Amino acid sequence: MIEFRNVNKTYSTGTEAVNNASFVINKGEFAFLVGSSGSGKSTIIKLILKEEEPTSGNIIINGKDTTFLKPARVPYLRRSMGVVFQDFRLLPDKTVYENVAFAMYIVKATPRHIRRQVPMVLSLVGLSGKAKMYPNELSGGEQQRVALARALVNNPSMLIADEPTGNLDPDTAWEIMSLLNEINLRGTTVVVATHAKDIVDKMNKRVIHLSKGKIVSDKKGGYDCEI
Amino acid sequence: MRFNILGYLIKEGFRNVFKNKKSTISSLTIMCATMLVFGIFFLIGENVNYIINTVEQAQGIEVFIETDATEAEIEELGTKIRAMDAVNKVEYVTKEQALNRLKDRLKDQAYVLEIYEENNILPTSYIVTLTDLSKTKEVQEEILTFDHVKRIESSDQTISTLLKIANGIRIGTGVFLLFLIVISVFIISNTIKLSVHSRRKEISIMKYVGATNSFIRWPFIIEGIIIGVVAALLSIIIIGLLYNLVAGQIMESSVVALINISLLSFSEMFNLIICVYMGLGIGVGVLGSAISMRKYLEV
Ligand SMILES: Nc1ncnc2c1ncn2[C@@H]1O[C@H](COP(=O)(O)OP(=O)(O)OP(=O)(O)O)[C@@H](O)[C@H]1O
Ligand SMILES: [Mg+2]
Repeated sequence: MIEFRNVNKTYSTGTEAVNNASFVINKGEFAFLVGSSGSGKSTIIKLILKEEEPTSGNIIINGKDTTFLKPARVPYLRRSMGVVFQDFRLLPDKTVYENVAFAMYIVKATPRHIRRQVPMVLSLVGLSGKAKMYPNELSGGEQQRVALARALVNNPSMLIADEPTGNLDPDTAWEIMSLLNEINLRGTTVVVATHAKDIVDKMNKRVIHLSKGKIVSDKKGGYDCEI
Repeated sequence: MRFNILGYLIKEGFRNVFKNKKSTISSLTIMCATMLVFGIFFLIGENVNYIINTVEQAQGIEVFIETDATEAEIEELGTKIRAMDAVNKVEYVTKEQALNRLKDRLKDQAYVLEIYEENNILPTSYIVTLTDLSKTKEVQEEILTFDHVKRIESSDQTISTLLKIANGIRIGTGVFLLFLIVISVFIISNTIKLSVHSRRKEISIMKYVGATNSFIRWPFIIEGIIIGVVAALLSIIIIGLLYNLVAGQIMESSVVALINISLLSFSEMFNLIICVYMGLGIGVGVLGSAISMRKYLEV
């Protein structure tokens, strides 16, 4: 469960990226975070991950207010969710396989479990044939799928994806979205930040619409529900 | 920590070592150099201690007894000396033994002793060896106050000179050890800093996917340990070869043969020096990397 209570974020540059945002995303929900470029979608995700600190307000994850979370606990907060970053954040000198396995190493998974799980998620995102390649040998869309595989590999209870279809052709984008939907149906909370209007319209899920850091609408339906 | 994690972390440590070949090699070189100089001090110190021990065992203090002392009085003197704190062993030398010792010492010229054969007026004596050579002077002074002591002979001069040398070397080694530690920690921490810097993007990514600080830190600590251990191994090989060469030369020289001392062989000191070097290498590696990691972990 993710709850924002009157959260504000003003960057040191003076940009007001999030303005008095309040919302609750319940366990098992599927929510889109939409809005034009610069509207604050990535900032909200960074706040959830404690990559950025809110200027004011409270963020509650799984019942815990993360405002006062000790630095030593932050890694455990981050492990409780799988995250697909807008800029992928893959380790450049590790192969596709190692990048995904890495997420399992840090939670101290057994070698057997790693050997079974990694090929499984790689085939889930359609990258079985590219396990031995390095990120710079992959297309943008393929890197995005590696990032998704890494986010999924530990079966997190929450999946957060920032533009997971940004670099994909419409067909592949749709495939990835169906995959996210399937994961959601298995009980995982899914939050997706995106511009992809047609997909959002087609999925008919909850849509949180941001404009200049403010939540301007929050309801089930399409991208352009009356603002 | 499970084995696979350990394996992963060690692999990453080696990866760091090879990724920054240049700085790894330069810190290895400097560490080897300081370890070698330290090792030279250390080995000389070990040898001087060894020589002192040899001298100590070979030549004790010789306490000559007045010729008019009765057997009971001689016995009593022996008991008194034995009871002293710093005394290790007390050996009685009879007139006959004293004569034989003189003969041994004079070898070819032993014929001058013929007159003693009939009328042995040589004094009897106690040969006293000490547990602690630095007490030589006090022991001598105390023995001189006892009854029936004629005079005392000892290799006082040699021993005090050796002790001074040994002390000097001990201080030198200590100072150098400190110097070695400071330099090496600085060098290793610099190397690791470069390594961390070249991986700072990776480090931040690891943190974003939930790696703990200790997980991130380990490969760098292992990198430091690897450099320390390799430097220790290289140094021990080099210093071993060097020592055998130099010690061999010294042993063959006529001076050493004359004063009848020997040096330790490298194999006798191997265990000690490998422990010292390994301890240094590992300790310095851990310390150096711990210092350099501190400020890089805040993401
Ligand atoms: N680290 C930063 N420092 C200063 N300003 C920032 C920083 N990150 C983002 N911003 C600003 O905050 C605003 C919101 O940015 P954010 O990345 O959240 O937008 P977004 O909705 O994710 O956009 P996009 O769809 O292009 O990814 C923008 O005006 C951006 O310039
Ligand atoms: Mg964004």
